[in-house]
Amino acid sequence: MKSTATIDIVGFAEIAQGNSPLVGIIANPVSARDIRRVIANASSLQIADRANIVLRVLACLRACGIGDVVMMPETGGIGRHVDRGLARARNLGEQQFPNVHYLPMRVGGTVDDTHQATKAMVRAGVAAIVVLGGDGTHRAVAAHCGVTPIAGISTGTNNAFPDHGEPTITGLAVGLTVTGRIPDEIAFVANKRIDVSINHGAVREIALVDVALVAEGFVGARALWRTENFRELFVTFADPAVIGMSAIAGLLEPVTRAESGGLAVRMAPLAQSRTVVQAPIGPGLVSSIGIRDWRRMPGEVPFVPGVADGSIALDGERELSFSERDQVVLTLKDRAFRTVNVSGVMRYAAKEGLLCSTKALLDAAE
Amino acid sequence: MANNPFPLSREDLLKVYRTMKTIREFEERLHVDFAKGDIPGFVHLYAGEEASATGIMMHLKDNDRIASTHRGHGHCIAKGVDVHEMMAEIHGKATGACRGKGGSMHIADLSKGMMGANGILGAGAPLACGAGLAAKFRGDGSVGISFVGDGASNQGMFLESLNLAAVWNLPVIFVVENNGYAESTSVEWAVACDSYVDRASGFGLPGVSVDGTDFFAVHEAAGEIIRRARDGGGPALLECEMVRFYGHFEGDAQAYRAKGEVEDLRARRDCIKNFAERVIEAGVVKRDELSAIDREVLDLIEDAVGSAKAAPLPTAKDLLTDVYVSY
Amino acid sequence: MARKISMKDAINEAIDLEMRRDPTVILMGEDVVGGTGSPGEADAWGGVLGVTKGLYAKHGKRLMDTPLSESAYVGAAIGAAACGMRPIAELMFVDFMGVCFDEIFNQAAKFQYMFGGKVQTPVVIRTMVGAGFRAAAQHSQMLTPIFTHIPGLKVICPSNAYDAKGLLTQSIRDNDPVIFCEHKNLYAHESDVPAEAYTIPFGEANVVREGKDATIVTYGLMVHKALEAADALAKEKVEAEVIDLRTLSPIDWETVIESVENTGRLVVVDEAHPRCSIATDVAAYVGQNAFGALRAGAQMVTAPHTPVPFSPALEDLYIPSSTAIAAAVRKTLASEQEAGGRRRAS
Repeated sequence: MKSTATIDIVGFAEIAQGNSPLVGIIANPVSARDIRRVIANASSLQIADRANIVLRVLACLRACGIGDVVMMPETGGIGRHVDRGLARARNLGEQQFPNVHYLPMRVGGTVDDTHQATKAMVRAGVAAIVVLGGDGTHRAVAAHCGVTPIAGISTGTNNAFPDHGEPTITGLAVGLTVTGRIPDEIAFVANKRIDVSINHGAVREIALVDVALVAEGFVGARALWRTENFRELFVTFADPAVIGMSAIAGLLEPVTRAESGGLAVRMAPLAQSRTVVQAPIGPGLVSSIGIRDWRRMPGEVPFVPGVADGSIALDGERELSFSERDQVVLTLKDRAFRTVNVSGVMRYAAKEGLLCSTKALLDAAE
Repeated sequence: MANNPFPLSREDLLKVYRTMKTIREFEERLHVDFAKGDIPGFVHLYAGEEASATGIMMHLKDNDRIASTHRGHGHCIAKGVDVHEMMAEIHGKATGACRGKGGSMHIADLSKGMMGANGILGAGAPLACGAGLAAKFRGDGSVGISFVGDGASNQGMFLESLNLAAVWNLPVIFVVENNGYAESTSVEWAVACDSYVDRASGFGLPGVSVDGTDFFAVHEAAGEIIRRARDGGGPALLECEMVRFYGHFEGDAQAYRAKGEVEDLRARRDCIKNFAERVIEAGVVKRDELSAIDREVLDLIEDAVGSAKAAPLPTAKDLLTDVYVSY
Repeated sequence: MARKISMKDAINEAIDLEMRRDPTVILMGEDVVGGTGSPGEADAWGGVLGVTKGLYAKHGKRLMDTPLSESAYVGAAIGAAACGMRPIAELMFVDFMGVCFDEIFNQAAKFQYMFGGKVQTPVVIRTMVGAGFRAAAQHSQMLTPIFTHIPGLKVICPSNAYDAKGLLTQSIRDNDPVIFCEHKNLYAHESDVPAEAYTIPFGEANVVREGKDATIVTYGLMVHKALEAADALAKEKVEAEVIDLRTLSPIDWETVIESVENTGRLVVVDEAHPRCSIATDVAAYVGQNAFGALRAGAQMVTAPHTPVPFSPALEDLYIPSSTAIAAAVRKTLASEQEAGGRRRAS
């Protein structure tokens, strides 16, 4: 999809030169509204709850001395509820939140908004981007964040990638990190990515967790649940403790996020499989999948799938169709982008007594 | 011809195109004729929204009932109501679907499960619950579908119906056709919780949101929801996020829309164009097959308009008939 | 075989017999069963005044308690009727019609006409009307004229147990939407009622008392007040004819006109408010169509143009009394006019 939006980020460069680092927040209002709500027992975080999460993060950033935050505007209502929270605090004379600036971009209501917002935040020099969404949202940010680190908060249905921890702690960890209190080697971890190339780069996509090739040849309601159509699976990490495609691999041979490389799995019809995995492929959805074989997927090695035609699902959602006329190549990249190591940051903060000093944190900020 | 990657047969794909095109040409013709002064009263055009009606109605039979809105032509055509009878009704003729006594906003055909377009927004929701109740008592696996707009989703009747359907576990689907405007009022202002899916959750039934201009997205989501309802899984809400090309009613200058908004939507989000491109690109259907359908549809509309104009008006005695079955 | 039962029991019987006869008859309303979802007994109430008690034990799931959502469940009853069921929806108090009136007057009443005769809506909306229970302004109205005004609705208001059973049976079997009004102060009133099912046709008034001196036209509880007035007048050698309309829409004009042509004097009694009431309706109709027979202007006896007051002292003044009815009859007799309005030479 060609981008036609231009964004004026002059104002933000000035903000970024202020006293405190700039942090970006991208909150997706549209995640978790898809068919999984009906065919699985997916929950949906209400708009007001997503806004509350944003307010929690904002409060913690402020507590760490962050004065300004840029946010992606959206028409899903999160911004409106956030503004109410900010207005209430202002009316009560509280200094609870940083200044929130919405990017001056046109809202199309599609994933392209996330692409544009990420690029704008990077140009504005944000020290980190906090993301609220599912795997799809995080993927959209990771595609354009470059070296800017991401802190993920799960608010989607398919959430193999982002953290499921309390957003307050994510906000605190990001605040401590961007204000320079945490050494880089502790604050950030490297994340893997699979690059998908069709027809020598005519189409380029990425996945943060999994690339699944399925026999369904169309992109309808996008979610994956018809297991009889699964053919091949490539994962950046194989975690038995998450739901989604990564769980299938994780129950065969776990591969951590820290290890180099991922896993490539080939499926077979149940009747012809010696190995059958019962995997939690969706919320409350455990399905049987026939497995032919699997092997490690090393970094930088191009893989050509054996499936002639069908759809490619990226991080659990059917995104691309292909046929035998198309050439599909998948390559895993180690160290593709950085995320904030929330638990690591907090352990370091405790060890170093960062939040136990006699002077209040806010004194330092003012 | 390539393999068909779509979940509908080639014949059904052509039928989908024909249905959507019939709705589009029907509405475009009314737009023209209304401006000429040929159409009495008010018409509310469904142009741009065809994928929603068609995607959903492809899963329904005659004994599944739908309750529609004031913007009901698309629902009628997709449900199988006769196009000639519809055109005659809109012209107020005695050969109309309602013998000229209902008009555009009240076209109904219970033999096709069409419980009527409705001039009272939100009133269809309780009626669809009634259809679901009847289906439950009969045990015939049929469903009721209530279409409302983004504006009508604020009506008490609609909200009460969500609760009633959930409490009684009725096979009813509530479809919110969100085209962003309730008359001239933007949905951004009028819907406080900002999400119909959240509203559904609040009332105890699941909600799903799809791009209402993507036929396949609507078709797949509707299929799952309807199947679930038929199997006793209860009610659900489907939000079809879509666009309308024309105003609330014909004569509405749409001053509340941004400059160039409609032209941009016609270029980027025309559900029929997008559908055609996908099926042609997949090699399942040829462009000249679709062009042939285009010509047949135009002929059909032209014929319907001609018949409607030539048809007789109702007479004075028709004024007093059909108030009651018997009095 | 007739036996004396109350109007409440007669209504219960009508519903029971029709539910046995026709599997498409269902009944819904607030607390019509009572206790749904609660840990105590099922059928705890059987309606707020017990009118539908015992039906759940006989017909089970065909009786449904509803949430407090009149527009949803009355609308659902109407929708189910359009889909081939014969639902009875109970609107607990007619005073609540405001929250579901659209479904009644814009939907049910108009389907047959708007859809060119192609849709039948055989729904019955049973509702409690009337004052005298000290239930105050929002639980004591009649509002019958409002429904009568709407083309497409039939409006029924029986005055006794026998009529209630026959008219309700007719209402359920009727293919048009019917508003069946039950006066809460008549539930205990007893009369002889046959055990088997029977119907009373709509549009047939009942002459409950014959007389040659004046015609009193009324319905509902006021029938009994009119009979009291007639007894008092009989002592003065005035014989009043009392006509119980039974059905307000359709209305039996023929019987009314015939009676006025005999007596020449008309008093219409309506427990509803005075403006645009059944009283004004009948008086105007007779004035237009039988003016030549009238020997005096028609008198209308109604409640005052006020909400229903709470205090028993005031409510008793609100409800039209037999004294007021008798006085109205006397007024028609005191008139100096000849038939046709010519003044008598004095």
